[in-house]
Amino acid sequence: RLMERFLMDGFRPQQLSTYALTLYKHTATVDGKTILVDFWDTAGQERFQSMHASYYHKAHACIMVFDVQRKVTYKNLSTWYTELREFRPEIPCIVVANKIDADIKVTQRSFNFARKFSLPLYFVSAADGTNVVKLFNDAIRLAVSYKQNSRDFMDEVLQELENFELEQKEEDVPGQGQRGSTESPRPS
Amino acid sequence: MMCTAKKCGIRFKPPAIILIYEGEVKGKSRQRIMPVRNFSKFSGCTLLQQRAEQLKNNPRHKSYLEQVSLRQLEKLFTFLRGYLQGQSLAEMMEQVQRERTIDPEEDLNKLDDKELAKRKSVMDELFEKNQKKKDDPDFVYDVEVEFPQDEQLQSCGWDTESADEF
Repeated sequence: RLMERFLMDGFRPQQLSTYALTLYKHTATVDGKTILVDFWDTAGQERFQSMHASYYHKAHACIMVFDVQRKVTYKNLSTWYTELREFRPEIPCIVVANKIDADIKVTQRSFNFARKFSLPLYFVSAADGTNVVKLFNDAIRLAVSYKQNSRDFMDEVLQELENFELEQKEEDVPGQGQRGSTESPRPS
Repeated sequence: MMCTAKKCGIRFKPPAIILIYEGEVKGKSRQRIMPVRNFSKFSGCTLLQQRAEQLKNNPRHKSYLEQVSLRQLEKLFTFLRGYLQGQSLAEMMEQVQRERTIDPEEDLNKLDDKELAKRKSVMDELFEKNQKKKDDPDFVYDVEVEFPQDEQLQSCGWDTESADEF
């Protein structure tokens, strides 16, 4: 639903059932340059406790969402974060507290997970739209700057490989979410 | 037919769904009684859903029930079933309340599809209630609100005390 709220009319997800993910394509402008963004939505893959490795491959930013009404989704963040860092040790990651419309008081609370790993924390609501556009625009900006300045060993290797392939223009920004909160087969 | 629904409830004896509404004459409340026939106290969830749908789509009542949600009708049928099974009103209210609230500790990844669908409907209900749609007059695409995370904030209560965990 966060994706839908951000893309509004422009959203046209592609279901890639083989990889159990929903892909959203989006065009954004950063510093006057037009870039293509691929949003990868987990589409309930979290059910299997772990993502397929291809999911992390060439991702340039990660958005981790939890539901402020469900402690379980918050507690699971650490597991997902560990897995993310195994594959992508350096990419920017944003933590999102979704559904603040359910209880606005949560915005007055501290969430140590984000603090512990020095990750930015966004309070958002897919329902009323609070901070959704800001979240995605910031994520895109982070992804672009990461891609330009990346020091990741894996990225350098990939860069080498890419020289033999067509030039790559996409940014991959996976929206890693908790099932039932913002991501679902009917992407919420 | 101009009809503004005011209240919709259930009468147990004899069973009927009752709608209080305002018709064409402004300020004048009217009442519509829609009898419930052949209702079994053994009706399962699916049957309750069907009853709600049938009533909502009934050609005679349809236009009156437009503003009444399917979920509410379903809930009323659930009350009727509870009554026929001898439950007290307090018990029924508590049960409905329990079913319509989110258990923060429950792991939805461990539920079967049917139970998951139920939880999702609870979440959808909240979403729809709070949703700002594109066609709403006060809709704003980019809503930015700052929520500063300074040191003085009270903990969310979900973090453990130990330093190793968050």
